[in-house]
Amino acid sequence: MRTRIVIAGALLVIAAALVLAARPHEPTADERVDRITTELRCPVCQGLSVKDSPSETARQMRDLVAERVREGRTDAEIEAEFRAAYGDWVLLSPPIASWSGIIWLAPLAAIAAGVVLATARVRTGPPMDVGEPSAAQLAALRERVAREEAAEG
Amino acid sequence: MLWRAVRIVIVVAMLGLVVTLALAFRRDPHDIRTGTIGKPAPAFTADRLDGEGTLSLSDYTGKVVVVNFFASWCLPCAQENPALVHVYERYRGSDVVMLGVVYQESRDSAQAYVKRMGMSWPAIADDDGRVALSYGVFGPPETFFIGPDGIIAGRHIGPIDETTLITGIEALRQVGGLRPPAPSRSP
Repeated sequence: MRTRIVIAGALLVIAAALVLAARPHEPTADERVDRITTELRCPVCQGLSVKDSPSETARQMRDLVAERVREGRTDAEIEAEFRAAYGDWVLLSPPIASWSGIIWLAPLAAIAAGVVLATARVRTGPPMDVGEPSAAQLAALRERVAREEAAEG
Repeated sequence: MLWRAVRIVIVVAMLGLVVTLALAFRRDPHDIRTGTIGKPAPAFTADRLDGEGTLSLSDYTGKVVVVNFFASWCLPCAQENPALVHVYERYRGSDVVMLGVVYQESRDSAQAYVKRMGMSWPAIADDDGRVALSYGVFGPPETFFIGPDGIIAGRHIGPIDETTLITGIEALRQVGGLRPPAPSRSP
């Protein structure tokens, strides 16, 4: 009985924590800058985000993002400004609605191809067991061979 | 029957992948297609490097504008500079304008470099990097060709040579119907 109460209490605490964590809240300006710069690729680095890069270019980009956030621009507008200059390349996660978005389809296509192959294999089943021909089949075959030889000869 | 169709699909997909990769590897690495080509050149107003007021791109509407991003710490910039000087002298006084944009460098050292290298065309300071960011610059040297209509027609990443500069300028002059260039003053 006591164990059940402890488990139920623990589950309640976990549920309350999840609800609190998932509660929507308005991000601060700094949080928005962090989120946007995490999504932007540093143009002079190897695979680093603008947020993580120590380069001067990344610093200038962070300053520009912060200024745009202060001006009240939306995340989409800020990203669009960088995409206009650097193309979709500047986004670390390419948008789905673009040519580069095809990259998202590759794993789905691979999974679909695997499913098709597996389904085809299952439906085809094991190879047919070819048994001995019956006496009637043998007779029919002998008759056919004799007929064809007579026609040739 | 289904197996046959699946095999055909896989072979076609592999061929498509090979063709795509082959085409991608054949492209000139200097020809990076970013968002700016074919679009209006981002407007800017910035301090002139020589301290004589400000300079706006809109001051040159109707002209062919060659915008060159440079820095004194950039060795390829020094390498391409003679070509820029020759081309600037060739088109001096015509409807072709050359503009330099300092990239991530202090005004003093950039000004000293401009004097040392004989760069007579106007240059602007880009202290906060906004001009470079609006043009999608990766690093110097980079050169943009802007037509009389204000559209970015071309971009060259890395040191540029005289032939590429003249070819780009003349293509825009023909499209824009500008008058012939002034006689070359280069030796």
